[in-house]
Amino acid sequence: MPKIDFKGISKTFGTNTVIRRFNATVEDGEFLVLLGPSGCGKSTLLRMIAGLAEISGGEMLFDGKLANDWTPKQRGVAFVFQSYALYPHMTVRSNIAFPLVMDHFRKWHHIPIVNTIHRWQVMKRPEVKAAVDKMAEQLELTPLLDRRPGSLSGGQRQRVALARSLVRDPSLYLLDEPLSNLDAKLRTQMRSEITTLHQKVKKTFVYVTHDQVEAMTMATRIVVMNGGTIQQIGTPDEIYDEPANTFVAKFVGAPPMNLLPVQLNGKDLTAGEGITWTHSGQKPVGETKAIFGIRPEKLELRPEKAGRLPARVAVIERLGAETIMGCRLGLADAGDSISTEDLVFVRMPGHPGLSHGDACSLDYADEDACWFDKPTGQRIASRHDDTRVAAIA
Amino acid sequence: MTSPLLFRGRLLPRLVPYAFVAVPLAYMTLFVFGPLIQQVWMSFTDTRLMNPTAGDYIGLENYQDLFSDSQFYTSLNITIVYTILTVVIGVLVGTISAVALDRPFKGRAILRTVMLFGWAVPSVAATLVWLWIFNGQSGVASDITEALGLGRVPWLTSVDWALTSIMFVTIWQVAPFVMLVMMAALQSVPEEVREAARIDGADALNVFRNVTLPCIMPTMQVVALLVAVWSIRRFEVIYLLTGGGPIGSTSTLVVQLRLTAFEDFELGLASAYGVVGLILALLVASIHFLVERRRALVMLK
Repeated sequence: MPKIDFKGISKTFGTNTVIRRFNATVEDGEFLVLLGPSGCGKSTLLRMIAGLAEISGGEMLFDGKLANDWTPKQRGVAFVFQSYALYPHMTVRSNIAFPLVMDHFRKWHHIPIVNTIHRWQVMKRPEVKAAVDKMAEQLELTPLLDRRPGSLSGGQRQRVALARSLVRDPSLYLLDEPLSNLDAKLRTQMRSEITTLHQKVKKTFVYVTHDQVEAMTMATRIVVMNGGTIQQIGTPDEIYDEPANTFVAKFVGAPPMNLLPVQLNGKDLTAGEGITWTHSGQKPVGETKAIFGIRPEKLELRPEKAGRLPARVAVIERLGAETIMGCRLGLADAGDSISTEDLVFVRMPGHPGLSHGDACSLDYADEDACWFDKPTGQRIASRHDDTRVAAIA
Repeated sequence: MTSPLLFRGRLLPRLVPYAFVAVPLAYMTLFVFGPLIQQVWMSFTDTRLMNPTAGDYIGLENYQDLFSDSQFYTSLNITIVYTILTVVIGVLVGTISAVALDRPFKGRAILRTVMLFGWAVPSVAATLVWLWIFNGQSGVASDITEALGLGRVPWLTSVDWALTSIMFVTIWQVAPFVMLVMMAALQSVPEEVREAARIDGADALNVFRNVTLPCIMPTMQVVALLVAVWSIRRFEVIYLLTGGGPIGSTSTLVVQLRLTAFEDFELGLASAYGVVGLILALLVASIHFLVERRRALVMLK
């Protein structure tokens, strides 16, 4: 099973640089998720691993061997496409068996009739038949083996695509947004199926998605990308609890982390429209301006004047077991504004019994705050161990 | 009192689609179906060019004459050979050109324009140019064979070469059209499926055979049908180059039809030739639709 090293990988299309000096390592057996918005270069990176896109600069090593110019076949990877990319004219059985037919292919089989006979012979081999049947059984495709992709549902097609990539028993699985064409329910189901599959086959998975829920639930490690550069590499918990910058803080989590530009004055923090409160926990040293970040579930909704931050309810989203409240800081009425840009989100269990426009207040535990540099957006420190963040005694 | 149905706004919207269909239907009736029915009828009469409206019904006599004439079988044979070879070679050359021009490379746009020339130039003008190229005394084609040490070839005046020469010109005209259509079809082949095949270990030829070819096959079949029907009824190229000669060696059904109608003045017999051509075209079309239906059934399984 390969370990993949990226050493300063870059990709350019003409004058347009899509990936800039990408350095990372994919460890053997891990489930690595490449997470980022559309156009951030994550799919291009996956295609470079597969050998479908050329590497413009840098080195890609498979187990320490330079693999920049290897063909897709030499790399021994499986690739699951967003559009499934099944062979429309072949039956499900032929689709799954295709990689095996190609494994047995020799140059002289290109002679027209020889080609057909060869395919027929390979399909009849007991080991090929057994491999296809085993895959079909594993992915519950047995009753569909003689159907064609055109008559299958999205979920079934996705399973055929998975079966086709699994049948060869590759050591590296590359999945390019495989669930984005499925409906919400099926997506949840396939998500757990893929996770189970990873645990079962114990191979390396590299998974591309723009859906942070998929990334958080499936990954053992996440690479967050934006604009062709790595924003952060870490476990789902690290990414969520200690985002490296405001981009990661905003991109991961639904609703995202609340980010408030504040002015620092001793223990006092002043946000936007003159709302000042006292923060006794750690905060940046030697800065007068910074970005104060806090996750929605770390905020606490309290009755009016009971918390440090006065607010007014602007949005209520009931999710059954929990509620997401969008509050506007300060007690001024927002009028007819429907913008959610300036809202502070609070996630809480149950239903608070407040309604739109009600005055309330927000509070938090001081140690839950995250601090980001105002001009660069970089996190000033992890919450516990940096010298630039200090508790004001 | 209620207003008439038409103006209550219920019937009118329902009639609109029929009105749209009526226009092309009227055109087709007047210029296609009408003459076609008239031709079929005429093939059962003894109509002559001297008096084209006054023919008497003579039953199957024209067909009896036709089937007892050896020239008919020669013409039928030539038509079938000419059709099959132009379809096979024309579609093959056109498709190979389209595949070659599918991927971007330097000078692709210029090459594509040059290759479309045969299709873009008016058929009669192009054929007249070819008439000069194939000219026995001063033609370029013979100059080339002479330079190669093969001597001058009587391209259009020899029984052995005339049909080959005509087919060459036909393919020169047909292949660019096939190329154009197949280039459009190639655009619709999903790139991800080709990539999937590469991942699965297929080399370029296998990707073509297993992904590209099955995807462009339906288009290829339609193009083959078009080329076949055009070949069955092609007139100007053959008539201008050889006029059906030498000794009837390039006289297809259509050329023979003209000869019978306008040199022998026998419109009834000429109509019978036309009916045979029509049956041939319908046969090709029905084979196409049968194959197409079978494919649709298989794909839906």
